[in-house]
Amino acid sequence: MHLDLDQLDRDGALRETAAGVPGETRKDFLLGTLAGGGAALAALVLAEPGKAASKTDVDILNYALTLEYLQAAFYTEAERRGALRTPLAKETTRVLGAVERAHVRALRDALGAAAVAKPFFDFGGVTEDEDAFIKTAVAFEDLGTAAYKGQAYRIDSPALLAAAISIHSVEARHAAWIRYLAGAPPASAAFDEPKSMPEVRKLVASTGFIAQKPSTQSKERPRFTG
Amino acid sequence: MVGLVGVVGVVLSLVARGEDGEAAGRSVSLAAAIPATDPLGPPPRHGLAVPRPRALPTRADAVALWAPVLHSVALRETPSASGRVVGRVTVSTPERTENIVLVIGATRARGGLWIPIRAAGAVGWAPRTALGGYEAVATRLLVDTRAFTATLRRTDGVVFRAPIGVGTSAAPTPTGSFFVRNVLTRYRSAFYGPVAFGTSARSTLTDWPAGGFVGIHGTNRPELIPGRISHGCIRMRNEDILALARLMPVGTPVEIM
Amino acid sequence: MLTRREEDPGTVATGTDTAASRARFLRLGVAGAGTLTLGAVLAAGVPRLGLSGTSQSRDIEILNYALVLEELTAAFYRQALARAGLSGELREFAQVVAGHEREHVALLRKALGPNARKVPRFAFGKAVSSPERFATTAIALEELAVAAYNGQAGNVSKPVLKAAAGIVSVDARHAAWIRAIQDKRPASQATDVAKTRRQVLREVDRTGFVRS
Repeated sequence: MHLDLDQLDRDGALRETAAGVPGETRKDFLLGTLAGGGAALAALVLAEPGKAASKTDVDILNYALTLEYLQAAFYTEAERRGALRTPLAKETTRVLGAVERAHVRALRDALGAAAVAKPFFDFGGVTEDEDAFIKTAVAFEDLGTAAYKGQAYRIDSPALLAAAISIHSVEARHAAWIRYLAGAPPASAAFDEPKSMPEVRKLVASTGFIAQKPSTQSKERPRFTG
Repeated sequence: MVGLVGVVGVVLSLVARGEDGEAAGRSVSLAAAIPATDPLGPPPRHGLAVPRPRALPTRADAVALWAPVLHSVALRETPSASGRVVGRVTVSTPERTENIVLVIGATRARGGLWIPIRAAGAVGWAPRTALGGYEAVATRLLVDTRAFTATLRRTDGVVFRAPIGVGTSAAPTPTGSFFVRNVLTRYRSAFYGPVAFGTSARSTLTDWPAGGFVGIHGTNRPELIPGRISHGCIRMRNEDILALARLMPVGTPVEIM
Repeated sequence: MLTRREEDPGTVATGTDTAASRARFLRLGVAGAGTLTLGAVLAAGVPRLGLSGTSQSRDIEILNYALVLEELTAAFYRQALARAGLSGELREFAQVVAGHEREHVALLRKALGPNARKVPRFAFGKAVSSPERFATTAIALEELAVAAYNGQAGNVSKPVLKAAAGIVSVDARHAAWIRAIQDKRPASQATDVAKTRRQVLREVDRTGFVRS
């Protein structure tokens, strides 16, 4: 049976606790589980990322993955928090979330052990207020389109380029869709402009949405009741 | 995909049938101009295997949310800055980790966003601005102090079960709804075993240094398990606590009965 | 890309710095009026980069293929605005998109210069006879354009790819937009279809729109 790390590791439970086990890195932990007979798991996790993908391609895929993590987490949290009022907004969030989560899976699968870890997000209430949510979703989808556009031509592998180009036009659809919902022009210019990696990183950083993971681990000696 | 092409083609041709005389001449074939082997090759297969988009699991209790505390605030009985104070949340735990709380209900918008939370020792409303980002966990720990078992459930079922030691009748393990607040490792203490989880549960007895919180940890007396042996903490054998540490992230709700 | 969490031990911070930069981020997103820096690449003429004549001649062939599709779409919207009895949302859509397609045609013609193919004549018949027929045809044409561009992404030189990417995403926006107007889901798949030139032109042939 093909074991999917994501199914075993819903919401990152495994990854988080693996980091907390004394004396073991994540890699050691994963290798350790092989002894227990997870052969199919080994095949997935130890696969070379993209089968001899170039460094450029790996970097671009990880860059795309970070943006997809961001979008997926944003829509997932909005759906879970249930603060959206209108049926259209709810339906859009459901569909967009499902697609972005599929993008995350695809990129993680391709990158294997080379995939960047999911960041810790703090959406600061934006996912819990319909107006703020929709405005931010517009910005995210426009940004995602511009980001893919900025990198597609740099991709070395023709197969990865085909995939990236095909996701790029999906992001553009999302942008138009959410703009339509927001009452903004779905396509306001004849040509869409790309954005460079530094530009995109700076914009994402300016949102403050990517935060440091809370420190919930300590080497303090326990002083519990005992 | 082939079906979609066919449908689109049929739709296009149905729509176009019938002249309105605006341009004379028979229709010409653009495809006919392409040589038998098109020098413009077909697009390659995608280098990414993108799975079918899937909905979130719909069970409301499938996932718990926790958030770090960014600012010490009063917990209120109602989502209002003038609501009765029922507790307080601080930014740190006695173990000097960032304090976290469980988000236990829907956000209310009332002059700012308010979140219903479970903290150590209290349940109440806090302003959204006092909390950091939400993190979801799919696990839940069930502690049965009469059957002396700890069971970890996840969305895919039971993933861990182990015998435990619990508090004596003089210092019982509290019952109720709590959550894992932190995890301690790499300390030197055979008494607590290799890993200790701090929970939001407090002993019913008072005067504990460091607040009297109940932990879940290993032991240097495994032969006492199962049994009523502790001052409130939930003890398990060291191999069990290590296995639990691989499966249970911080933020996991803990139900003790 | 990590930001450090601001420590504010005393009062509850309003996070004005974050709010201000977040507001800037949102303005950038919603404004959307792009400059033509991308288009400028093509407007300077088909890039003469590429190691051999075949790369440039392939670009020319693909740009001419794109041109006929854009001419077709531009003519369709022109005809629809004149004949289809469009009003309200549909009319606004057609007006905006007609403008975009005109600009696409202009850019491709400028890039191709003397290598631009002859414009065919088109007849759209019943496709522009009513708002409903217009909308159905618009969806089909925009989807076809996206599939056509995506199908050639691997065949063009990198500079042309950069420019074409700026066109295909606008066509994808058009597709989502008209679908939304028609109460259809603007996008439900995680990836978009790419079609070969032969597939695309056969679909065009089946419409009977191209007359010479």
